[in-house]
Amino acid sequence: MTHRTQDIGFEHSKISRLLSEESGNILLPDFLLNLSSESMRTLSGGFFEPREVTTVEAELEDAVVEEPHLNLANTTIIDEPEPIANVVGNCPVVAVDVSSVRVGESEQGLLYALRGALVWREGLSYNFTRCGPLAFHLNDLIARSLSRRSRANDSISYSAWSPLSERLLSRLRNTLERWMQRLACSRLSRGIVLLDGSLTAGTPDNPTVYLEDILNRSRENGNAVIAFSKETKLCFSGKKITRLLDKANYPCLLNIDRIITPQFPSAPVRLMGRVYVAKLTSRGLPFRVDIDRQLSEESAAKAVGRLINSDIVEQGYPETLRLAHILSTFTANEILAIQRHLSIDYGLKLAPRLSFRRSLFGPYGTSTEAS
Amino acid sequence: MKKGLIVQVIDIQFANLPGILEDILRDVMTEDTIQGCDYDPFNISSQIAVLKDTKILICKIRGAIEDGKAKTETSWLPSRTTSRIVPYSIEKLASTRNGKRPVTLGRTRSDHLTVDVKMLDGKLNIITGKKGVGKSHLSKLLILSLIQNGAPCLVIDVNGEYVNIGRARNDEPTAYADKITVLKPGHSLKFGLSEVGLKTFLNTMIYALDLPRTSSKVFSRIWNELERSGNLKLNSLNDAIRRFSCHESVREAIYSRFNTLMDLELFTDDISERFDFGLFEKKMNEGHAFIINMKDEHAISRRLVVELLISKLTEQLSDMRLKAVFLFAEEAHFYLRETYWEDIITRMRHLGVFTTFVTNQPDTVQESVYRQADNIFMFNFTNEHDLDAVSKVAKIDAESLRSIVKDLPAHNCLIVGDIVRDFPIVVNVKPLDIQTMGQTRHFFQD
Repeated sequence: MTHRTQDIGFEHSKISRLLSEESGNILLPDFLLNLSSESMRTLSGGFFEPREVTTVEAELEDAVVEEPHLNLANTTIIDEPEPIANVVGNCPVVAVDVSSVRVGESEQGLLYALRGALVWREGLSYNFTRCGPLAFHLNDLIARSLSRRSRANDSISYSAWSPLSERLLSRLRNTLERWMQRLACSRLSRGIVLLDGSLTAGTPDNPTVYLEDILNRSRENGNAVIAFSKETKLCFSGKKITRLLDKANYPCLLNIDRIITPQFPSAPVRLMGRVYVAKLTSRGLPFRVDIDRQLSEESAAKAVGRLINSDIVEQGYPETLRLAHILSTFTANEILAIQRHLSIDYGLKLAPRLSFRRSLFGPYGTSTEAS
Repeated sequence: MKKGLIVQVIDIQFANLPGILEDILRDVMTEDTIQGCDYDPFNISSQIAVLKDTKILICKIRGAIEDGKAKTETSWLPSRTTSRIVPYSIEKLASTRNGKRPVTLGRTRSDHLTVDVKMLDGKLNIITGKKGVGKSHLSKLLILSLIQNGAPCLVIDVNGEYVNIGRARNDEPTAYADKITVLKPGHSLKFGLSEVGLKTFLNTMIYALDLPRTSSKVFSRIWNELERSGNLKLNSLNDAIRRFSCHESVREAIYSRFNTLMDLELFTDDISERFDFGLFEKKMNEGHAFIINMKDEHAISRRLVVELLISKLTEQLSDMRLKAVFLFAEEAHFYLRETYWEDIITRMRHLGVFTTFVTNQPDTVQESVYRQADNIFMFNFTNEHDLDAVSKVAKIDAESLRSIVKDLPAHNCLIVGDIVRDFPIVVNVKPLDIQTMGQTRHFFQD
């Protein structure tokens, strides 16, 4: 026990160095910083149409949907969920989340902003480091530039990138997210790394190589990587898999990996985590949870037990990850602030919004257009 | 500027931007529970801070500038897209410093406000605000400015606040001390029956003491008989009432009221003790302020004195013996009978009585006064009921008035009306080197 406490103390101070200003240069990859600057330089004044933000707009964040929709037949027999065993002692917990948001449109492309948050629990207190916002002007010019850069840089495999501006955002977002996840896994030892989403990789915008690297580093440092999906498209008998734990009124873990894995027989999409449905508190919400596949099932279950003991879990969701999400998410006010930044620093002029419906039909356009 | 719309800022609020609540909630939620830092390479977060503190100015259109001249009416609107917003000093609009009788009322946010005291001439004015915010102070400033310019003032001082207006803080007489006379009813202010006259005396009996009409007719007969015989004196009147042949109940009604009046010691047969209305007339025409100190006076005495003075003033003004009088009436509801309000703002105004009502109870001033007022000096009010009452003024919209008045600090007043050329303006009233406080008695002397 004494040995563990000393270990944790050491690791806490190590991760706390993320707070220091000197570490700024490692929090964001130079590549992204340069790309942001480079892309914004392609704005040559002119007009831009800012994204209209209102208080009633519930979902500002542009979610990147990658998870394939999968409906599992009910011929499969589902195991009973295993109760999550209480594990004595706690460990450091770190969580990473990244948000992206569309800020507006220029005459040449789309304007986006990215921000990432890294939150860790140290003793009883929570700490964070937040990176960004980074603004990007995504257009064909930048896409071509990225393509050239990826060929020149072997260490980072951007070679799969295509010059399609509409795909650039999810790639940039993944790049930042994986970078911060790698940082967390490298800085933490014998702890739990919480990620947002799943441990699925192999799509064009989410190369396997990044996630592999993250998981390898994590294992080297004795960490367990657990990913929580707020939304899942995996269904069983026409219902979301999270409904499988409807009747469970205790903290439990249901391994559904053996019925999921056969659906992904080979590359490119790879499930790099073992897939579970987990309910971390008796009255909490169930989530799809992916745990590093290289960990034994026993270790995975222990990691979940340690998480419950080491972090506050409200409504079945770890507080560290919740804070990371809250801190990274853009509010409407922040979008306005970024628009103001673009206007001041890049001389963009706000273009009056042109609605074809409104122009054509005046007040007789549809209600959504007229509002 | 050749052409422009004049808008006045009436309120400053935080802008209710989309997402601001989420931002604030996040800050509150995390400030105690989570520590950390932001790595913001392009310093975009500074814009977030700017936005969070963004304020919105609530404005009202007050007029327009056309060919470089300010007008309070406007019939056009500027372009929404190409117009520019430029700050414009309100003193340029409201000030009448080029008038012949300039007086500096105080400071606005940016400059001194100087107005022409002539703008009080022929006008009906109201000074109102809650207790202790500086109403009497402004009133004194106006009185001093008026006598400095040779104007006659009559001050009905209910609380004895004006008695030291002629003395500096160091207790030395000021330059205007000889232009100020303080009168105390029953002491330095006593009247003779013949000067007062039947009409005034009878009105007092009826309105102040509720003498029944039938009894008043009997009293008139008694008075007329004594007047015809040249024996109109207090003792004679007393005897005549007791001896006059009438019903006992009528006699009792008259006698009890007569005794009440006598107890007030406002009347005298001694010529040397009587107030000299001739001298009053002379001094007033030279520019003088008479302060009627009614502190601690009985309610009937107050009403009686005011009835007598106004009646006398009306007479002197009608005969053109007096040019005009600036009447400062503090808490007029204490002594002004119902029928006088209308009279003051119509008939007496035409005769030359220019009244300034000073009150901390705005609902006691009749609505017609607010509607007819030419100048309104409004200090702070926070009570909704009071704000409702003052909102009836015709010179400014209720929204502006409520918005400005409820946030006014002490000694700051919103001035509306002719004196500021109908551009509402907030002024911090300038201090005076006089003993501004009345003779308030205090228990704690340190």
